[in-house]
Amino acid sequence: MPDTLLGVPGLRRKTDPARFEVVKNALYSAAEEMKIVLAKTAYSPLLKVAGDYSCGIFDARGNMVAQGPDLPIHLGSMPDAVRAVIAAFPVVEPGDVYIHNDPYNGGSHLPDVNVVAPAFLRDQLLGFGCVRAHWPDIGSATPGSYGAVTEIYGEGLRLPPVRLYRNGQPDPDIERIIFANVRTPAERQGDLRAQIAANRRGAQRLEALAGKYGAEELLRIMDEVLDYSEQMMRAALGRLPDGEASFEDLLDGDGVIEPGAEFDEPFTVKLTIRKRGEEITADFAGSDGQVSGPMNAPLTVTASGVYCALKMIADPQSLIPPNSGCWRPVTVTAPPGSVVNAQPPAPVVYANHEVSHRVADMVMAAMFQICADNVMAASQGTSAVVTFGGIDPRSGERYVSYESLKGGFGARPGKDGINAVASTTSNMMNTPVEMLEMAFPLRIEEYSLVPDSGGAGTWRGGLGARRVWRVLGHEAHAAVCCERTITPPFGLAGGFTGGPMRLWLELPDGAVRQINGKGSFRAPAGARLVVEAPGSGGYGPPTGRDHALVREDRADGYVTREQEGSSNVGAHG
Amino acid sequence: MGWRVGVDIGGTFTDVALIDEETGSIGIAKVPTTTRDFTEGVTSGLREGLARYGVPPAAVSRLSHATTVVTNALLEKNGAKTGFVTTRGFRDVLELRRSSRTDLYDLFQDAPAVLVPRRWRYEIAERIDAQGKVAVPLDEGDVDAVIAAIREAGLDTVAVSFLFSFLNDAHERRVGERLRQALPGVGVYLSCEVLPEIREFERASTTAVCAYVGPLLTRYLDRLQGTMSDLGLPRLLVMGSSGGMFDVAEALRMPAMTVESGPAAGVIAAALVGKELELPDLISFDMGGTTAKASLIAGGEIAVTAEYEVGGAGHSKRWLHGTGHPIRVPVIDLAEVSAGGGSIAWVDQGGALKVGPKSAGADPGPAAYGRGGMEATVTDADVVLGYLDREALLGGALRIDLAAAEAAIRRVADPLGLAIPEAAARIVEIVNANMAEALRIVSIERGRDPREFALIAFGGAGPVHAAALAADLLIPEIIVPPAPGAFSAIGVVASDVKRDYSRTLYADLAMLDPARVAAVLADMEATASDMLAAAGIPSERRVLLRAADVRYRRQAYELTVPLAAGPMSRASLDALASNFHEKHHQTYGHATAVEAVELVTLRLTAVGRLPGLQLGRLPGGAAPARRRAREVWFAETGFATTPVHQRDELTVDHRLAGPAILEALDSTIVIPPGWIACVDGGGYIRLRRR
Repeated sequence: MPDTLLGVPGLRRKTDPARFEVVKNALYSAAEEMKIVLAKTAYSPLLKVAGDYSCGIFDARGNMVAQGPDLPIHLGSMPDAVRAVIAAFPVVEPGDVYIHNDPYNGGSHLPDVNVVAPAFLRDQLLGFGCVRAHWPDIGSATPGSYGAVTEIYGEGLRLPPVRLYRNGQPDPDIERIIFANVRTPAERQGDLRAQIAANRRGAQRLEALAGKYGAEELLRIMDEVLDYSEQMMRAALGRLPDGEASFEDLLDGDGVIEPGAEFDEPFTVKLTIRKRGEEITADFAGSDGQVSGPMNAPLTVTASGVYCALKMIADPQSLIPPNSGCWRPVTVTAPPGSVVNAQPPAPVVYANHEVSHRVADMVMAAMFQICADNVMAASQGTSAVVTFGGIDPRSGERYVSYESLKGGFGARPGKDGINAVASTTSNMMNTPVEMLEMAFPLRIEEYSLVPDSGGAGTWRGGLGARRVWRVLGHEAHAAVCCERTITPPFGLAGGFTGGPMRLWLELPDGAVRQINGKGSFRAPAGARLVVEAPGSGGYGPPTGRDHALVREDRADGYVTREQEGSSNVGAHG
Repeated sequence: MGWRVGVDIGGTFTDVALIDEETGSIGIAKVPTTTRDFTEGVTSGLREGLARYGVPPAAVSRLSHATTVVTNALLEKNGAKTGFVTTRGFRDVLELRRSSRTDLYDLFQDAPAVLVPRRWRYEIAERIDAQGKVAVPLDEGDVDAVIAAIREAGLDTVAVSFLFSFLNDAHERRVGERLRQALPGVGVYLSCEVLPEIREFERASTTAVCAYVGPLLTRYLDRLQGTMSDLGLPRLLVMGSSGGMFDVAEALRMPAMTVESGPAAGVIAAALVGKELELPDLISFDMGGTTAKASLIAGGEIAVTAEYEVGGAGHSKRWLHGTGHPIRVPVIDLAEVSAGGGSIAWVDQGGALKVGPKSAGADPGPAAYGRGGMEATVTDADVVLGYLDREALLGGALRIDLAAAEAAIRRVADPLGLAIPEAAARIVEIVNANMAEALRIVSIERGRDPREFALIAFGGAGPVHAAALAADLLIPEIIVPPAPGAFSAIGVVASDVKRDYSRTLYADLAMLDPARVAAVLADMEATASDMLAAAGIPSERRVLLRAADVRYRRQAYELTVPLAAGPMSRASLDALASNFHEKHHQTYGHATAVEAVELVTLRLTAVGRLPGLQLGRLPGGAAPARRRAREVWFAETGFATTPVHQRDELTVDHRLAGPAILEALDSTIVIPPGWIACVDGGGYIRLRRR
């Protein structure tokens, strides 16, 4: 009970506190309800069981007022998706629905398709619902759209903000363009209908609130919800010490092996944090220029990683309602044309999760120098994406499967990391083995924890997961997108690194082929793909670990041998 | 005809309800719950109840009870030493869960609990594929090794869950047979017996929950059954989470079915009231000391959910994957919020007033109870505002300390710059808003307009807050039953024998041979009839209800659609498909008639109907008349002198216009301005808006 915080000056606002609380909660539960509608009606396993989508309620200027309990990577950048619609359509009508996915115009990467719908009370625009959902395929040369291409033109269908519905009726021309460009159009149609149903629910809830309290009152409260989060975030930042800290880290590569090179070339991201009073700046000056392959992050994606980590650091008990107001005291800058502020036509598909994951970990490492007790060691730092596509020999139909494997959640001062759970910017679920195998011609032969992958420390890092896919009765076109194969997740305060990302392909003849962490490849019938997600870093020196915990770890086989790893932090740490 | 007796073991009190099957008159007894050994409280409550109403044990026709044993074992983590056996490669399925985290931004969140430590998770080489065929034969040598390991570890119980056992259970049954033979003292729970449904984590979790609580439940029920027999009482029935009774053997077969025994009972009682008053559409609202629960009854039907989570860090809403252990058994669809009489009010750093989720509980309790509580609770606010008597409650048995309540409220009033009554009013307004959220989850979120429902309010604090909630949601009528404080025990008495069965059957409805459906249904119906016969239900009182979980082929979540009784034909499957399209449109706003519709699960609910009950008036127990008026605060009027009436003084059809307070022994009913209360013939107080 934070009685001790009673002295913090209260927010002066017009609305009575009780009504404010009621309406704020109603807005958040509207976003949550959108999430439920989407899961229950979508067709692709990625959406219906793995939950790779996010929902939010936005004001008429595109600020996110309330978000569902979704994916921070989406949540940080979705306001730009709504703003792009507002910019493209100065006049919005009831019954409109907009769609777009352009990373250079409010999107994040092409597979993330934004559907935006306005809510009205009579003639008055109240705001928008937005559902960003990751489509398992958006075209391009590779099923799953995760090929290592060198321009955004090769990444799939690129939709600027367009009007998909007018007066509640779909525009069949636009639908035809979309479904001609994706591999499994029937499944996509189901997903799109689900996105629209979710938006419809969000709009209905907003309209009902306006009906009850009046549009003016609702809009005022929506403003106040943003101000409230801003005020709380400022107070939280104000309690942290001031300071400046830099951190530099090495990323595996971009998936493109340059002519004459033997390996995928690593690149560097540099971050400087400046914290003064109630405001904070994350400056990426000194980061490498954009790369050939799709590891280029639009600034909105980079910012998402910063926002997510800062929210966890400044508000570790998660008391502040997350919305656009939280980010007002935060400034993110990066040189245009750098790998963290991509400019067209650089390809971007991997960066969305790989760079934002890494940025979040880097913010933790930089902030460790300012407030060591409010951070965690590096988490898995990758979404460990694995896609398969081809023709299902059981039905003769085309399929695309998209999964993300989870690693460790970083160790914290006073607490071990968490085994194999989504961390920082990610929060997707796994696809149940039984549902995956019924839907696709694949067999999962193992799904387990990787012993010894948690970084040693006073507080041990979380373990990564291993998953093994066998390709059944057909040749699959597979692709992966993984980080941390070269630099494993760092520990902090003397904690060791977690186990690195590892992946290889076992061919039917027994040959084992190492595969690059990013890019596509053919997997013949009977081949096994083995993927191990990274464990997270430890916190504090391993010598400080309670002996009883060491014994328990051994008894449970989380740890089977003397811990290896290093306590080096970062590329030049 | 005799007496039906029900026992509800709550966190604070064990309530006993007795109903005379002939007259419908209700008797109640309330004794403290004995958490160390529930049997003691149950025994003393029964003795007291039977003695008070002069009921000899031989006159008890049916004895039913709702238990918290399973829930407590999970919360207190004192279940059995449990092992887990699964397909090679999958020993960590219980720990890997669904891989999302509970809170996006909580840096210090705990790892979710795991019931079985990794050292006691075992693998056996075997594999069934997605078509139900054997891909890898069962390795009997691995089974030997697992038997040795379980013996070595000295486990009490073991859960077995192989991949795709819901399609082909041969390997699982073979392992079960071998374990039972080799390890006679060890409880063995098979996922194909507990929950033959798709999704390996949820099925394994449900099976593990059963194994974990099974031995404890067995000991408890055996002991209680023995004690009841010694008292000369009949065989015990147990309340299930989906709101039906089954006998002890059934409960032990699937212990996870008893998790939300108590809350389910309240909803059952509410449905019964609806039937009696011919009000098919009700929202039940149960407000206790720490939580409030809401549930929806539409068209006389109780809503039941297929997924639930137990033993976690607490959750206010279903669906979101949290910190507990998921079970896939039907549980009455309740929305539970941390809002009760003991909920504590506080001011956050943004200057917002909050209520809960912390509660002062029974110890120290609200400041007003004078047992050392210092924090402002909802009960303190109710006392300050005059909703509750400012001197004593429970007919004088509980003294009220007004000064302490005021001092507690001051702790939040001062930082907000509010006067004490103003702060109390805000606290009540916020807790009401939190509870309205629960009501909204079960109504508006399900696309149901609360204006078309009546609110039935019970639990210690329910009738105090009901009118404000009803006003917020525009619910036109409130029903307060007799003995609202012991209403859940009445639900226990009133519940039918009921058990839910499910069987997975994947098929495109358009291609499915009706004979396949008929065969599965016939098998389930035979099992169900045997169960009802064993529970002593004569054949004319048995009802078997069919339903099917259906979805568009590529969806992952089904809608449950009723399936007609009688022989299965092409026409009955076509009717199922068209009913599904209609329900999908109604629920989500669209339907796609050209899309293939897939059958996933066949469901059968077996009901043994008990003779109908007429809930009569609560005998005796009037509060002594105390004062005739007090100062009570209402939003419309501020503090105003408000008449206070005793419930027993009111005659049938007596009308009472708000503002007014109506007191009874175990409850206070607040009638705000604009509402009119009247007593109907059944002993119900009905509040309507003027």
